Amino acid sequence: MTITGEVGAWNARESATPAVVAKGLTKVYGQGDAAVHALRGVDVSFATGAFTAIMGPSGSGKSTLMHCLAGLDTVSGGQVHIGDVELTGLDDRRLTLLRRERIGFIFQAFNLLPTLTAEQNIRLPLEIAGRQADQDLFGRVVETVGLRDRLGHKPAQLSGGQQQRVAVARALISKPQVIFADEPTGNLDSRSGAEVLSFLRTSVRELGQTIVMVTHDPVAASYADRVIFLRDGLLVSELLRPTPQSVLDTLMKLEA
Amino acid sequence: MFRTTLAGLRAHKLRLLLTSLAIALGVGFIAGTFVLTDTIQAGFTEKFAAAADKIDVAVLPARSEDAESSRPLSEAALEKVRAAEGVGEAQGLIRGSAALVGKDGKAVGSFPTAGISLPEGPLNRTLITSGSAPKTATQAVLDENTAKTRGFAVGETVTVLDSKNVGHEFTLVGLFDIGLDQQLAYTGGVGFTTATAKAMTGEKGYQEIDVAAAEGVGQEKARDAVAAALGPGYRVTTGEQYADDLVKANGADDQLITMGLLMFGLVAMFVAALVIYNTFNILVAQRTREMALLRCIGATRGQVFGSIVLESAVVGGLSSVFGLLIGYGMGTGALSVLIAIGAPLPSATAALAPRTIVVALLVGVVVTMGAALLPARSATRVAPIAALRSQIEEQTFRTGVLRAISAAVFLVAGTAITVIGVTMERGQLALVVVMAGGLLFFLGVLILGPVIVKPLAAFVGWLPGRLFGVPGRLALDNSGRNPRRSATTTVALTVGVTLMTLISVLVGTLRLTYSHKLDEQFPVDYMVQSQSGGLPRALGEALRDRPELASVVAIRETDAKAAGGRPPYRVGTFTALPDFTPKLTSGSLDALTPGTVVVADHTAKDLGVKLGGRMPLRTAKAGTVDLTVVGLFDAETSPLPEMTVPAGDFDRYFGAVDDRQLMVNAKDGTDLDKARKAVEAAAQPYPTAKVSSSTDIRGALDEALDMMVMIITGLLGLSVLISLLGIANTLSLSVHERTRESALLRALGLTRPQLRRTLSVEALILGLIGALVGAALGVAFGWASARTVTDGVIFTVPVLQILAFVAVSGLAGVIAAVLPARRAARASIVDALAAG
Ligand SMILES: Nc1ncnc2c1ncn2[C@@H]1O[C@H](COP(=O)(O)OP(=O)(O)O)[C@@H](O)[C@H]1O
Ligand SMILES: [Mg+2]
Repeated sequence: MTITGEVGAWNARESATPAVVAKGLTKVYGQGDAAVHALRGVDVSFATGAFTAIMGPSGSGKSTLMHCLAGLDTVSGGQVHIGDVELTGLDDRRLTLLRRERIGFIFQAFNLLPTLTAEQNIRLPLEIAGRQADQDLFGRVVETVGLRDRLGHKPAQLSGGQQQRVAVARALISKPQVIFADEPTGNLDSRSGAEVLSFLRTSVRELGQTIVMVTHDPVAASYADRVIFLRDGLLVSELLRPTPQSVLDTLMKLEA
Repeated sequence: MFRTTLAGLRAHKLRLLLTSLAIALGVGFIAGTFVLTDTIQAGFTEKFAAAADKIDVAVLPARSEDAESSRPLSEAALEKVRAAEGVGEAQGLIRGSAALVGKDGKAVGSFPTAGISLPEGPLNRTLITSGSAPKTATQAVLDENTAKTRGFAVGETVTVLDSKNVGHEFTLVGLFDIGLDQQLAYTGGVGFTTATAKAMTGEKGYQEIDVAAAEGVGQEKARDAVAAALGPGYRVTTGEQYADDLVKANGADDQLITMGLLMFGLVAMFVAALVIYNTFNILVAQRTREMALLRCIGATRGQVFGSIVLESAVVGGLSSVFGLLIGYGMGTGALSVLIAIGAPLPSATAALAPRTIVVALLVGVVVTMGAALLPARSATRVAPIAALRSQIEEQTFRTGVLRAISAAVFLVAGTAITVIGVTMERGQLALVVVMAGGLLFFLGVLILGPVIVKPLAAFVGWLPGRLFGVPGRLALDNSGRNPRRSATTTVALTVGVTLMTLISVLVGTLRLTYSHKLDEQFPVDYMVQSQSGGLPRALGEALRDRPELASVVAIRETDAKAAGGRPPYRVGTFTALPDFTPKLTSGSLDALTPGTVVVADHTAKDLGVKLGGRMPLRTAKAGTVDLTVVGLFDAETSPLPEMTVPAGDFDRYFGAVDDRQLMVNAKDGTDLDKARKAVEAAAQPYPTAKVSSSTDIRGALDEALDMMVMIITGLLGLSVLISLLGIANTLSLSVHERTRESALLRALGLTRPQLRRTLSVEALILGLIGALVGAALGVAFGWASARTVTDGVIFTVPVLQILAFVAVSGLAGVIAAVLPARRAARASIVDALAAG
């Protein structure tokens, strides 16, 4: 499948097929007078093997965009492709299977099942899919996020940063086509946050993982290869090789 | 504070609905019991009053000490009544046995039909529904039921046996309605003119004399006149009083039924209390933050406590009203069903007595509030600071020392008391002791519940956990996650299953034990018994002549008095045969020589005689004889009459009494069908001789026992239903609590059916735990109870029945999970993630 030029000029390192593409994406909550247009026609593409951040003021539609891209929510109009599969029009069962096979998630909070140990939580997506874990990959992922001696612990016995690292490991273990992260560091202090972010970045560099992350923190966004900016449900700007300062400047401009 | 409570109720109304239903069902059962029995009672009152309307004065024999032998009213008494001043008309009523012979030439039914007189004139209370009343000595009427089941129509000729078992032919001129007569409903009845009834039944007098007063004479005046004319020795009442007495006699039965049903109602309410307790506990846990916020903004502990108690009062009140409606429906519904299946009950408009309303509301509100007290107390322990914590903490559970000690105390005490009950002398007291032990033990299990629920979940969940993949594993984890909650949920189910299992084990064991004992005593192939009166000895001779039959033992008996005991005793004998050796508990049957007797153990105790002792017996033909006791036996399982003398002596003492019963064995190798035909052929000339095989007898007994087990199980089913509401409730509250968890799982790729399965398997595990604990307790205490009823218990566990209870409980648990599971699966992932 080919993607036309309007979707975005940015070329990833070897210009591969995009992992995720959205065309003319709209999302309306409610009806009539109460209708909220959360997305008003977003065209965007996320290159394979790239780390992209989505930014924008509160209420601009960041979470909504992510939910629609990940098949967690239905769209009101437009199309979403994950790899060569079109999401729009899939029934709940197919969407679920698609998430299971191709998508990883990291949420802001409540990422782990309290009844399972760290290791069980990491393996959970594979078990749900009925797949065997790649022992090699498991070892590498656990090593990367530095959880080797915490595998037998329950979430309640882990710190917030450790919990998010378990969530990162869980997202990586099934080698998804794309990982969606919604404010993964929103609940963490800056040191734990930095740790988690560098793991995400390492996984992009070393494992070739594709990551899409929603954040409102310019420092977090600066870990990404590319930042796209939303305002009032529209894609309004983007930034390559961002620094905290350049992200902040763009945000200031948008708010003005 | 009141407004907060109401707002809270409104917010949680869906979750409280299931709780309300649990209370409403319990209350409904209790209210329904009252409505049913009150309505029946009202119907009887109405009908009796209507019947007694025709009577101004009723004369009955005086109540004598032993009720059986109240002497009937003589012809002379009737004449005296007729002659009394102010009496318009007087009629004597006859009631005795007059066995109707069916079209197969045998007397119908297990008991002879009743023979009754139909007086002419206004005093007749029997309603002829077709044809006419009998007017001559060769006319008779039959009750409608018997006519239908035995295939008789008006105009046909019927044969009826008189008291000497001689047949007489009558023309069937009509059919009558038995009304509310319980005896006639059971045996059926044949009606004659008064003179014919007297001749046929052989009754020496009237059972009752009904009087219609002369014009212008009041009931009291007529009664006084009749009483004066008769003198002492009679019960003379006005018609009104007579109706009242009938109602009262009937009310005693009614009360017994009420008490019995209320027992089941109490069990149901206990289960409902567990469900309520659990619900409020969970609600309080989930509203920790809400409570803490209230505390933060200045609510006192007392106010928080009050708000929960108030909430429970409102819930209890509303549910009780609802329950009252359910009960009204259940009561009237049950009555219609009973009437539809032919129970002799009056139909009347349903009675909702003030007592019913008060009891229903009181029980519902008090139980609900009582069950909510502990949760309300724990709500007061919420610290204001909890409002600031972001996540609701998982309820952690550690086995406290106090819990361990109190559980141990209850379990040990329960066991000890049960052991005492099992080892003490058999009888009702022992049974009560065992039940008390069982109750204590159950309370111990209830206290220990949270400790054992996790290992039990691991045990019963092992297979589902393996079978259902991730949903199974998650379900297993979840079921042991909140031990206190799971324990209370399952114990509610345990109550019903324990009682059901106990009953089926008890009945099964007793059935096996008794039949084994009977077989041991004297395994007979066929039994010939007379429906009424005796069997002529010629029948026994005829059977002995049959080549297909090997042995025929006749049992004969009659009433006789023995000095120093309660009169009369059944004295009898058997025709000796080498292979007929009933077991004795002491002494020997070989020693039964002329001048000796073997006695049933309870009779010996009654008379104060021992083995080797002597006892005088008053006989009909030989005066008082002095007998030596040479053996004792267990009356329950022995075919022997309670005082058994040698056959020769018996004839000498009492003359040639007819056989009461013949025990027949087929010759080895004879086709059983052929043997039975031979017995039946020999019995054919004797209409009252009923042939039954041991399998017939056992079949009838089994049917009766099965019926009893079914009714009790059905009544306990209500408790099980309530506990299932509890499971549904707990699950739906858990689903609510785990909204975000479910959303996470769905995001990670758990499909909707898989999420639903998680809940179903969790419910399955809960159901199985409850049922297994119940089955174990039921088996143990069923055995203990059986031990108190009889000795030499052959313990049996009706495995299939119990497996069915367990399977049904598991399945029902799964059904209870359907709605909560659907709700969990339907929730939007995005909304759930956003929540909280
Ligand atoms: N379930 C919903 N129902 C109605 N409106 C919603 C819902 N979810 C989000 N919105 C609205 O859509 C807009 C975008 O929301 P969101 O995507 O959460 O923004 P962001 O994540 O950028 O803060 C907001 O105006 C928000 O109020
Ligand atoms: Mg957001």
